[in-house]
Amino acid sequence: MKSEIKPIYWIPVVLVVLVLGVTFYLEFAYLSDYDSHWWNQIPGFYALFGMVCCTIIIFAAKFIGKKIVNRDVDYYD
Amino acid sequence: MIELLSIPGLILIAGALILALVPANVRPGLFLLFPLFSLYYVMTQPDGYVITGSLNGIELILFEMDALSRVFGMIFSITAFTGGIYAWHMKELGQQTMALLYAGGALGVTFAGDLLTLIIFWELMAVSSTWLIWAQRTKESDGAGMRYLIYHILGGGLFLSGILLHYAETSSLAVETIPAIYSLPNILMLSGIAVNAAVVPLHTWLADSYPKATITGAVFMSAFTTKSAVYVLIRMFPGWDILIWFGAIMAIYGVMYAVICKDIREILAYHIISQVGFMVCGIGLGTEMALNGATAHAYSHILYKSLLFMSTGAILYAAGSSKMIHLGGLFKKMPWVFALYMIGALSISGLPLFNGYISKSMTISAAGYAHEEVAMLLLLLASVGTFLSVGLKLPYYTWFSRPAVSRTANENLTTETENQSTDLRPIPLNMYMAMGLTAAACLLYGLYPDALYRYLPYAVKYNPFTIYHFVEVMQISIMTLIIFWIFRKKMAPESILALDIDWFYRKLTPMLNTLFVHKVDRFFDVAEERVLGIASSLSSWFQDPLSSVLIKPAATDQSPPSSNRQSANYRLPIGWMMSFTLFFMALLLLYIL
Repeated sequence: MKSEIKPIYWIPVVLVVLVLGVTFYLEFAYLSDYDSHWWNQIPGFYALFGMVCCTIIIFAAKFIGKKIVNRDVDYYD
Repeated sequence: MIELLSIPGLILIAGALILALVPANVRPGLFLLFPLFSLYYVMTQPDGYVITGSLNGIELILFEMDALSRVFGMIFSITAFTGGIYAWHMKELGQQTMALLYAGGALGVTFAGDLLTLIIFWELMAVSSTWLIWAQRTKESDGAGMRYLIYHILGGGLFLSGILLHYAETSSLAVETIPAIYSLPNILMLSGIAVNAAVVPLHTWLADSYPKATITGAVFMSAFTTKSAVYVLIRMFPGWDILIWFGAIMAIYGVMYAVICKDIREILAYHIISQVGFMVCGIGLGTEMALNGATAHAYSHILYKSLLFMSTGAILYAAGSSKMIHLGGLFKKMPWVFALYMIGALSISGLPLFNGYISKSMTISAAGYAHEEVAMLLLLLASVGTFLSVGLKLPYYTWFSRPAVSRTANENLTTETENQSTDLRPIPLNMYMAMGLTAAACLLYGLYPDALYRYLPYAVKYNPFTIYHFVEVMQISIMTLIIFWIFRKKMAPESILALDIDWFYRKLTPMLNTLFVHKVDRFFDVAEERVLGIASSLSSWFQDPLSSVLIKPAATDQSPPSSNRQSANYRLPIGWMMSFTLFFMALLLLYIL
């Protein structure tokens, strides 16, 4: 599926990398001794968490949809 | 008597009656006045202000003001106002009066000081909102509206029976904190409220009906029913542990379905369940911070969710479909709707500078401070799903990717233009104004959280703008964006219907119908047939009782049927009669001897 917007992909890509870089900089510069939960020990925990959770949600939803809940639109008619 | 008209709920109900009496072109303007009056009273009445009444010797508290009811009263009035602007172009009297009655019901619940007043407004909300579904006038909305009404009558019935038992036990009708004891009245009340709060598994009415409601009706519906239930939960059931886990389940359940669903309004409907899950979880935690978080999140949620329903409503209005498979590539045609939608989407995703950030992070942090780390991680997992489905999937497949199916091929196209081109129906200015106002409010509270925090029921010591929160939210969101981009085709639009728990009653209903109506009908039919058959054979038998005993003489075969009736043919042979008489004589003799 090709996007209809002009392929100026590099702007969002640069933005994404930049913001992610800033968050990592902030984390290591200011939050290295922050400790309110066990996961604060793990560097980049929230990035890891976002990545793993998002993948799980996409595939779990795909699985549940395909195998369990998806039906034809006129199923109840 | 006159002070009754300073009760916000009654102002709107009186407004609904007045609306019915004025000409159609005055109605939209007049509609806006009543929420403004109501907002004025909400903002000006001091804490502790009470209006009482009595009914058959029972003291009723029709209006009671405190910090918690004020903040809910404010947002309900504001939403009724912006919803009124959004519906300015809509001249249908039924929808206008019912929307106002509905808002009146929600405000009535908010300021009710006793359970009897509360349940009356509660039921008013159920009835008036049903109209907003039926007003869509499609076969689907007829069915969904009926299921919605039945569900809410059931919920109201549970709540009322709980109230009556509670009154019998405690002789108190006060709306007050109920101690966490799982007694029958408490469980009944809690389940009645849980129906309106769409607590899984009592949530199916929401995802079933909201996507089928009218464009303007859905905006009102997204604000009032679930959030007034959240208000009552905060009032009556704070700190009930069970709510933490029900809330966390709701938050995740809602987003999973939002990722599965392919109708943009259905995605938003499931997100109400998910977001109300955050609030319910906060209520379960019961700390001051968590209750503040739940209240603030309800306030923010009403704003951004009505904005999201307004912008998806605008798409349905313009394109004639809310199914993602019919949408796509709308960016060039509806850039402003996209921009306004994204403000709502980034708010619900809890990104910094938007109003979801200041309330969602408060609720999640409250879970952290209360050392409910599992609940906290579950809520964070739900936030990933929120950004994924509302912030990324929905806008990508609505505004950017190519439509999977041409819109003109859609037979449900409601564009009233004569030419069947792909031209979109122009969106009325008032819709843009309502969306703009709501988006501005989302940004205002996002940038200046104290505007909301100062109205919260407890003093706020929380600052959302810390490096930790910024890092937490941005790392999660950016990674979600990257993973979405990699796997976006996994979420491509399809023409499907996602089953939910309502399958049980929607499939059970025809079964029960067959079992208790058709089968019973058939039984009576068969019984009637048999009885009539028996009666007719008996009657013919009694005409000739001997015909079945006798061996018919051979003559009948040759003679016409009328000759059968000759008595001579049926007389028993004399020998039979004699042996019969002798047999009984012998029996009699035996008995006597």
